[in-house]
Amino acid sequence: MKNPLIKRIPKELASDWRKYLVIIIFMVVMIGVISGMYVGHDSMLKAIDAGREELIIEDGSFELSKEASLALVSAIESGERADVRQYFIDEGIREADEEVAKAVEENLDTTVRAEIEAAVRAQCAANGITDEEMITGQIDAAMETRYDDAIAQARTSDEYQKAVEEAYEEAHEAVIEAVDEKWEETADEYGLNEEFEAVPVTLYENFYHNESEDNDNDGTEDATIRLFSSDAPVNKASFLEGRAPKDSYEIAIDRMHADNVGVSVGDTITVSGSEFKVVGLLSYVNYLTLHESNTDLMFDAFGFDVGMVTPDAFEALPSRLHYNYAYLYDTKPAEQVAQADDADHFLKMLITQTLVHDNEIEDYVPEYLRQASNFAPSDIDGDTTGTSILCYILIAVIAFVFAITISNTIEKEASVIGTLRASGYTKREMIVHYMTMPVIVTLIGAIVGNLLGYTALRQVALDLYYNSYSMPACKATFSQEGLIKTTIIPLVLMFLINLFVIVKKLQLSPLKFLRKDLRKTRRSKARRIPAWSFLRRFRLRVILQNMSNYAVLVFGVIFIELMLCFAFGLPDSLSHYSKNAPEMMFADYQYILTSSKDAEGDLIETSEPSAERFSNVSLKYTKDNNALFSGRGSGGDESVGVYGIIDDSAYITLPDDLEKDEIFISTAFRDKFELREGDEIHLHEEYANKSYTFTVRGVSEYDGGIAAFMKNNSFNEVFDKDEDAFSGYLSRNELTDIDEKNIAVVITQEDITKVTNQLMHSMGQFFGVFKIALVVLSAALIYLLAKIIIERNEKSISMVKILGFRNGEIASLYILPTAIVVTICTLIGFVCGYFLMIWIFRVFMMQMDGYFAFYMSPGSMALSMIYLLLGYVFVSVIDFIRIKRIPTDEALKNMDA
Amino acid sequence: MSRSEHRFLEIVDLRKSFGEGEARQDVLRGVNFNVKKGEFCVLLGPSGSGKSTLLNIIGGIDKQDSGYVAIDGDKLEHMDEKQITMYRRLHLGYVFQMYNLIPNLNVKENIEVGAYLSGHPLDTEEVLTTLGLQDHKYKYPNQLSGGQQQRVSIGRAVVKNPDILMCDEPTGALDYKTSKEILALIEDCNTKYGTTVIMVTHNEAISRMADHVIRLRDGVVRHDIINENKISASELEW
Repeated sequence: MKNPLIKRIPKELASDWRKYLVIIIFMVVMIGVISGMYVGHDSMLKAIDAGREELIIEDGSFELSKEASLALVSAIESGERADVRQYFIDEGIREADEEVAKAVEENLDTTVRAEIEAAVRAQCAANGITDEEMITGQIDAAMETRYDDAIAQARTSDEYQKAVEEAYEEAHEAVIEAVDEKWEETADEYGLNEEFEAVPVTLYENFYHNESEDNDNDGTEDATIRLFSSDAPVNKASFLEGRAPKDSYEIAIDRMHADNVGVSVGDTITVSGSEFKVVGLLSYVNYLTLHESNTDLMFDAFGFDVGMVTPDAFEALPSRLHYNYAYLYDTKPAEQVAQADDADHFLKMLITQTLVHDNEIEDYVPEYLRQASNFAPSDIDGDTTGTSILCYILIAVIAFVFAITISNTIEKEASVIGTLRASGYTKREMIVHYMTMPVIVTLIGAIVGNLLGYTALRQVALDLYYNSYSMPACKATFSQEGLIKTTIIPLVLMFLINLFVIVKKLQLSPLKFLRKDLRKTRRSKARRIPAWSFLRRFRLRVILQNMSNYAVLVFGVIFIELMLCFAFGLPDSLSHYSKNAPEMMFADYQYILTSSKDAEGDLIETSEPSAERFSNVSLKYTKDNNALFSGRGSGGDESVGVYGIIDDSAYITLPDDLEKDEIFISTAFRDKFELREGDEIHLHEEYANKSYTFTVRGVSEYDGGIAAFMKNNSFNEVFDKDEDAFSGYLSRNELTDIDEKNIAVVITQEDITKVTNQLMHSMGQFFGVFKIALVVLSAALIYLLAKIIIERNEKSISMVKILGFRNGEIASLYILPTAIVVTICTLIGFVCGYFLMIWIFRVFMMQMDGYFAFYMSPGSMALSMIYLLLGYVFVSVIDFIRIKRIPTDEALKNMDA
Repeated sequence: MSRSEHRFLEIVDLRKSFGEGEARQDVLRGVNFNVKKGEFCVLLGPSGSGKSTLLNIIGGIDKQDSGYVAIDGDKLEHMDEKQITMYRRLHLGYVFQMYNLIPNLNVKENIEVGAYLSGHPLDTEEVLTTLGLQDHKYKYPNQLSGGQQQRVSIGRAVVKNPDILMCDEPTGALDYKTSKEILALIEDCNTKYGTTVIMVTHNEAISRMADHVIRLRDGVVRHDIINENKISASELEW
C-alpha cells in the first residue's frame, strides 16, 4: 500500500497554489538562467576550441622593430639563446679594431712625416740652406714624392708589424676584460644566469598594418583597423557572413565591430583613403575581443577593428608595416605552468637573439596571456560561474524560505504529527513526507528551468556574448555539466537545507507534538521587553516570535541590496568615469612619435604653440595577483607610463627640487596600489632584468592611467637617454604639421573613455533587466516570508478583530514590524553592498590593467533602496488585503479541524 | 485462559515524576496491574491522578522513571526508539480527546492513514460502514461535526486492527448523545474484533461498561476491580 500521506501533496499544491507558484517561478527562473548560461557557455566554448584548432591559433607572437633577417628567424626557431658574451666581445673588438686601426694610421702618419722632415732638414743643413721658407718648401716637395714610399716601407717593417700586433692584442684583451668585468651585470640584465631550456618553434609572418577606417565615408576617421593579409598561414578567421576578399578592392571586417558601427556585407568603407567593398564579416581566432593592445583595460569594438585584405591590397597599404611574428611550439606545453615556463624561456631567447641580430622587440605576448583571445572565454567562464553562484545563493535563500514554511506547517500540524507518530508512523516516514514537497517543487523547477535554458534562455546567453565579443558561429551543445549543476545542485541545496530544518523539527517525541510543545528548551519566563507603549511592545513580540523568518529576510534583503548596489553602481562608475574623462587628461593630445628624428635625421618639430616635448617609457610595477578573479587582464604586472616632463611644464607641475630618484604618481596609480607620499616603488623593464627604485614625492591629478612623472633631465639620466631625446609632444590642440608616418600613437580623451563606452554597450541592457529581476526577486522573497508571518498569526489576527481592532491597526501590528525589518535591512544591505562593491572592484581592478574606482551617485544610492522598498510596498498591499480577509471566526474554529 | 493471556499487558511498579527539587511532582508512585487480552479496561481518576501519563507510558510515547510495562512478555524498557515505534505501529491504536485528523485528507483517506501502518488492516469500507461514515467518506474534517470527526479518528485507530486500542478521554469534547455513540463504537470494536481497549476517562459512569476498572488517585492504584456486571454503552447514563 502506498503511503496515503502522499495524497496530501497535490492537495497542498492546489490549496496554496499562489505560494508554490511564486516558489516554482523563482526556481524556474534561477535554474533557467543557470541552464541557459551553461548551454550558451558550453556551445560557445566548444566553437572557440574548435576554432583554435582549425584556424591554427598561435602559441605566442612578438613584434620587431624591423624585419627579421633569415639568420634571426632560424636562430629564433632553434629556441637556443644567443652567445651574448661573444656578441659583446665581437662588438667590442670590432669597435676596438676600428680605434686601433685609426690610432696606428695616425701614428704611422706622424712618424713617417717626422722622419721625412728630419731627413730634409738634415740635407738642407748639410747644403747650408737656412731659409725656413725654402726648407718648408723642400719638406713639402719631399712629402709629396717620398711619403707614399716611406709609408709603404714602414708598413713592411718588422718593428711596425710587431707594434700593430701588440696594439690589437692589447685592445682585444682590454675588450674581453671589460666584458668580463661587467659580465655579472650583463648576465643579470639578460637573465643569463637563470634556468633555461631551449624551446624550438616555427615562426610565421603575421605582419599587419594599422590603418584608419572611415566606415561611413564622411572623410573622418571612425576607427583604427588592423589589417592582415588573406594568405596568413596562422591566426585565421572564420566567416559569420559573406566570404574572404578575392580582389584587391575587397575587404572582410570583424562582425562585432561591423554590428556596432552599422556596416553590412555589400557596404563600402574607406581605409586610409582607399575604398574597399565589405565582402565578409569575420571572427579572427586571435581576436575574440577587440583588444588593440594587450595592456588595454578593456577591448574596444567601436574604435578598433580587425580585417582581412588580399596580399596585393596588403602590399599597397600606406601606413608602416608592423613586423609581427607568430610562433607555434614544436612541442606544445601541456598545462599552464609549462606554458608559462616555455613563454619565459622563449622570451629570454628572443631578447638575446634580437640583441645579437641587431633588432629590437616592440611587443611580446604568449598566447595564454593574450587578452584578445582569452578574455572572452574567461569572461564566459566567469559569468557562468558568477551567475550560477548568485542563483545558488538565491536558491539557498528560497530553500530556507521553504524550510520555514514547512517548519510552520509542522508547528501547525503538531498534534496530527503527534497522533501519527503515536500510531506508529516512523520519524523517517514523517521526514520523507515533509521533504516530498520541496523535492517535487525543485524537480518541477529543474525540468521547466532546463527546458527554458535549452531554448529561450540559451539564446539570451548567446546574444549576450555575441553582443560583446567577436565570437565564431556556434551550435547548441548538450551541457552535461550544466544539467548536473542545474538539477543536482539546486536539488541538493533544497534537500539538505530542508532536511536539516525538518529533521531538527521532527526530533521531538510524539508526546511533545501532541502537547504542541515544540520548543527544545522552554524559557522559564517570558522575554522581558522595555516598558514601551502597548502597540510597540506588541510589534516587538511579533518580531521576536518570527525571528527565523526575519533572519532569512535579513539575509535575503541584504543579498539583494548588494546586487542592486552592483546593478546601479557599475553603470554609475562607468558614466562617472566617462563624464570626468576630460578632466582626467593632463593634455588633450599626447603624440608619441616613432622616433625624435625624421628620416632625414632632423628633429621632428611642430609650430603648435601649446605643444611641449615629453619623454616616455613603459615600465612594469609588480602586483600581487589574487585568486578571486583569474584569466582577466594581460596576466602580467601593471604597465606604468613613466613621463619625463620639462621644467615649467604647462601640463604637469613638478617641484623644482624634485630629485633624480623622486617621482610624482598619477591619482589612479596611487588609488590602485594605495601608495602614499614617501613610499618607495620599484619599476622594472619588461624585457630585461633591470629595475629602478623611486620615492613617491607627490601625486599628480590624473585618473586616466597608471603613470609616474619625473623631471626630463632626471629621466634622461636614469634611462640613459641623450640630452635632446624625447618621445613626443603634449598638446592642447591637434598637431597638423607632423607627418603621420612619424607618429606612433595619439592618445586623446576617446582613448580614455573607450573602456567605459565598451562596457556600457556590452552590459547596458543587462543592467536594466537585472534591476527589475532583483526587485521581483526581493518582492517574491518578502511575499513568501510575510505570508508565513501572517498565516502563523491568523488566529491572533482574528482574535484582535473580535476584540474590536480595526484592519489598519492590525496591519500596524503585523505589517509594520516587517516594514521596519525590511527598511533596516535595506539600509544595512546598502551600506554592506556599497563597501563590498568598492572592495570587489578594487580586487577585480588589481587583476586588470589600468584603474577606475567604484562610484555610485547619491541618486542611485537612494534608488537602489527605493527599488527594493517599492517591491516591499507592493507585497504590503497584498498582506493588507490578506489581513482584511481573515474571518473573525478563525479564532473560534476547532483548533484541530 | 493461559497465564500470558491473563497478563497480556503487565504494568509493574511504574513510577514517574516531573520537575526537580522542590518543584518535583510524583505523578505515578508505583502502579501495578495486569490487563487481559480482549479486555475493556478503564483507567478512572480525577484530573492530575496520573491516568494520561500512565496511558502514554503504556503507549510507548512517554517513559517511566522505574518499573516496567510488558506486552505479551516483551518489556518496553528494553526497546530502542525504533522498536518502540514498531511496537506502536504493530500493536496500538490511538484515540485522543482531540481528533487530530489531517485537514487536507478526506474521511476515507484519513482512515487509510491508519490502514497503511498495519500488516493486516481491516477493510476500510467495512470500517466506514461500521462507523456510519459511508455517506461522509469524501468529506474533509472541517465539513464534519465533532462526533463525526471522533468517529474518523476511531476508524483510523481501529482499521489497523491493533491489539490494544488506547483511548484518552475520547468523549471529553463531545456532548452526551454523541459521547454515547462513540462509546458504543469502541465497545463494538472490542467485541467485534476482540481488541483490547484501555480507556482513560474521568467519567465515573463510563467505568460501568468496562470489564476491568483501575481507579487511580495521586499516582497510585486505589482500586483494581473486575466488573462482573458490565452494561452496554447504550445503557449508560450520566
